[in-house]
Amino acid sequence: MPRDASDLLHGTLDVLVLKTLTWGPMHGYAIAEWIEERGDGELVIVDAALYKALHRLEDAGAIESEWGYSENNRRAKYYALTTRGRAQLRAEAATWRRYATAVGRILGST
Amino acid sequence: MRIPRGVRRVFRLPTTRERLVRELDDEVRFHIETRVERLVARGMPRDDAYTEAMRRFGDVDELRSYCQTIEVTHMQRMELRERIGGLAQDLRYALRQIHKAPAFSAIAALTLALGIGATTSIFSVVSGVLLKPLPFREPDRIVQLLGQDAKGNLQGRYTDPTFDDVAAQSHSFSALAEYQFGVSTIQVGGEAYPLKTASVSRGYFDVFGLTPAAGRFFAPDEQVLNASPAAVISYDFWQRQFGGAKSAIGASLFRGSQRLIIVGVLPPHLEYPAGVDVLTPRETRPKSTSRTAYNWLAVARLAPGVSLPKAQVDLSTILKRLKATYGDYTWTSDGTVVPLRDRIVGPIKPMLLLILAASLVLLLIACANVANLLVARMASREGEIAVRLALGAGRGRLAQQLLAESSILALLGCVGGLAFTLLGVKLLLLLKPASIPRVDDIGIDWRVLTFAVAASAVMALVLGLVAAWRAVRGDLRSALANAQRTKGGGASYRLRGTLVVAQLAMTMVLLAGAAVLGRSFLHLMSVQPGFNTRGVVFATALLPQSTDDSTRTARRGQYLQGALAQLGALPGVTAAGAADGELLNGGSSTGSFLVLDNAAVKIRMDDLERLFQDKTRTGTAEYWLATPGYFKAMGIPVVRGRMLDDRDRAGAPHAAVVSASLAQKQWPGQDPIGKVIEFGNMDGDLTPITIVGVVADVRDRSLSAEPFPAVYASYAQRPGNSSSLTFAIATTAPASTIASARRLLHDLRPDIPVHLQRVEDVVASSVSYQRFLLLLVGVFGLVSLLLAALGVYSVIAYLVAQRTPELGIRVALGARSLDVVRLVVAQGLTLVITGAVVGTAGAVFATRLLKTMVYETSTTDPVGFAVVIALLCVIAVIASWIPARRAAQIDPMDALRAG
Repeated sequence: MPRDASDLLHGTLDVLVLKTLTWGPMHGYAIAEWIEERGDGELVIVDAALYKALHRLEDAGAIESEWGYSENNRRAKYYALTTRGRAQLRAEAATWRRYATAVGRILGST
Repeated sequence: MRIPRGVRRVFRLPTTRERLVRELDDEVRFHIETRVERLVARGMPRDDAYTEAMRRFGDVDELRSYCQTIEVTHMQRMELRERIGGLAQDLRYALRQIHKAPAFSAIAALTLALGIGATTSIFSVVSGVLLKPLPFREPDRIVQLLGQDAKGNLQGRYTDPTFDDVAAQSHSFSALAEYQFGVSTIQVGGEAYPLKTASVSRGYFDVFGLTPAAGRFFAPDEQVLNASPAAVISYDFWQRQFGGAKSAIGASLFRGSQRLIIVGVLPPHLEYPAGVDVLTPRETRPKSTSRTAYNWLAVARLAPGVSLPKAQVDLSTILKRLKATYGDYTWTSDGTVVPLRDRIVGPIKPMLLLILAASLVLLLIACANVANLLVARMASREGEIAVRLALGAGRGRLAQQLLAESSILALLGCVGGLAFTLLGVKLLLLLKPASIPRVDDIGIDWRVLTFAVAASAVMALVLGLVAAWRAVRGDLRSALANAQRTKGGGASYRLRGTLVVAQLAMTMVLLAGAAVLGRSFLHLMSVQPGFNTRGVVFATALLPQSTDDSTRTARRGQYLQGALAQLGALPGVTAAGAADGELLNGGSSTGSFLVLDNAAVKIRMDDLERLFQDKTRTGTAEYWLATPGYFKAMGIPVVRGRMLDDRDRAGAPHAAVVSASLAQKQWPGQDPIGKVIEFGNMDGDLTPITIVGVVADVRDRSLSAEPFPAVYASYAQRPGNSSSLTFAIATTAPASTIASARRLLHDLRPDIPVHLQRVEDVVASSVSYQRFLLLLVGVFGLVSLLLAALGVYSVIAYLVAQRTPELGIRVALGARSLDVVRLVVAQGLTLVITGAVVGTAGAVFATRLLKTMVYETSTTDPVGFAVVIALLCVIAVIASWIPARRAAQIDPMDALRAG
């Protein structure tokens, strides 16, 4: 059953957004689509939560935004990773891997 | 284009809520429409696709408010950062300004440092003496009990029965104790020391909340009549004498022939009375039954929950009841309770506050001086300020900028001032103001630091505001126009003139105060005290207190005769005598005597109290014991009858001489010679005394106090039980006499410590209080005079620079240089006279505060005021003479061209 990503641990969505943006500047819809595709439909994002994450990350300086034009030539707000965002992603991804390994080890130990 | 938010703010671009909401809505709309299109492309009907997109988006309103919160906090953060950035910028700019004008900055900071240093030094004394709590536990609860006689005079001392009644009947105190203190010769380890000792009753240590640092305090069996004597010593004495060794407990001290066993040590720095080294239990000696033997001080600790007024009412009620019961047998009819600290520092408080006020005036003068310099500097910066205003700098921002500059000056002043304070406190303590209690508590602590910082902050604020007011007041256009030509204008002169007048007025107040104190001091020093104030050496010996009365007379007589014979034979010594008290240093004790019908009357101790009820047959006088040589050495002449002489030896009928004022008071219009008095309550010897002569009056208490009536009995006949003996040695070579007398007296009795000093030093230290006050107010007055002179100079110099073209025209039209000088000096004099008029009004008011501190001098002494005004005028003429000379040498052509 697909999971709402906001159910996941706090901060998960932020990491996912940062990871997504390593592929280049994207607007909000593209980010949502990208995460859903890569998550094989396991992760369904509530859009409002995604935008909250985007504004939160922008305020923290991890990403920056700029208005541009989408592939169908419509005005859209594009988000791009900043240097600080890259550093944050590296740190958080490492934490995540350690965390996931630990949880997996415990679950697999029966 | 992406615009960073900071930039948006700088250019005042809209960062409103509407923009935020609009952008967010655009973003959300794009998202939803894109999703709808994707869904439609997959074959969903448009309406369903829209519903699905909305569902998947979630709560838009919540998102909106979430983003707004982020935005608001972001803005707040930015604003704070900008403000701090602005402040840093201001400080950098201010430092640059100060660097650009090093002379101005140095003088301004130094002047402030001087003012702050002087004020803080004095404040450190005030803080240590008046503000710091006493070091005991809950010191505010410790009180001193005072009595009050029928006339309302406060009595510091209690009698044994009165104290016991108060202790039994009061409900306001958790502990109370009576005590007395004095100096005794204590022998320890074979050496004799004069030590401060106190006799304290049960409850004493509870009153002060003390616990022993070593050993214990007195046990109940040591606090009974004739118990084996125990002693508690001070921590300081323990360290000094025993090196803090535990073995001190159980060691012996000797007071005369009495052996004291040390049982405990007081905690460090917690001795009371100040400097006491040995405490003994009061209860080992019998209590007096007399309600007029005022020998004991009384302290108490307020019981929990009892307020001071409540305790006062309690004590007053008890004492009034005792008065009603005992009538004339007691002289105490009322009483009160005062905090111990007030009792200790009360006498010095007015003087310290006065000096603090004087130093604050000095600080104000220093501040006015710097303000004056600042206004001059602002005038020269008028162009710069105008340009900044024209470029759109806000006036508030400009004020903040100037405040930053004055803050840096004040900070420098504060640091310098604290350095001056370190020095100043040392100097103050060097002056050895003997009459100041708690001198050990004086130092630089957090109170002093707070004071210095607060004073500096006020200076910064005042100066900043003056500068800002001066800077933003003007008309921008005219300032811009004028900036290139003249530096400053008439308004600047008026402001600076006002500041200088204020300075002069305050200087006048300080100097008038100094003049009044100076005249008073001169009067005091020219007082004829009735004894030789030159060429006399005092040698005060601390006699051992022996309990054996039978041999005391003989032993004391032997010591006295031996010492006097040898002292009299020293080279240069013209006369030598002795008395039981030291002039100007406590003198002798005062008591009541009885007038008897003749020398044959026999009196018993028990009769005394009854006989004293007959007021027509009693009198009050100081009771002195003296040898015949004493009067010769001190130069006290006999005015009637005969002097005490060798006839008045032990065994002969007791004789005395009385002072002229006693003869006048007790027997007006009669011959006092041959009168018989009974003064046995002073020394326990009930033998009647016949008056054989009258001697001149002596100011023995202080130079300023009227002579007190005195009776001088013969030392040879009544050696008494006084604890000290003062040799008065008239000599033509004081220095060598001191040296040889010290050696001689030590060789005679090594166990008797002797303190030697010249009468000049005794007189000088008796007026140390007055000298201290005069010196400080005088120094403050002179420093402020210097500052005021600088103020006058700078304003007049500025004025001359302003009027150079005009003066040039005058010279060109034939004015002689003397005319120009007169013109300029007149300007300076105008300032001074205005200042003097204002200052005189202030001084008349301010010097009234000196009323209780001056001796036979009017606080509005016209001569003093006239001298001060004359001094101010002379200084003003000198200060304006220098720029006036420059003005007189103006070359008219240069001046006109410059204009």
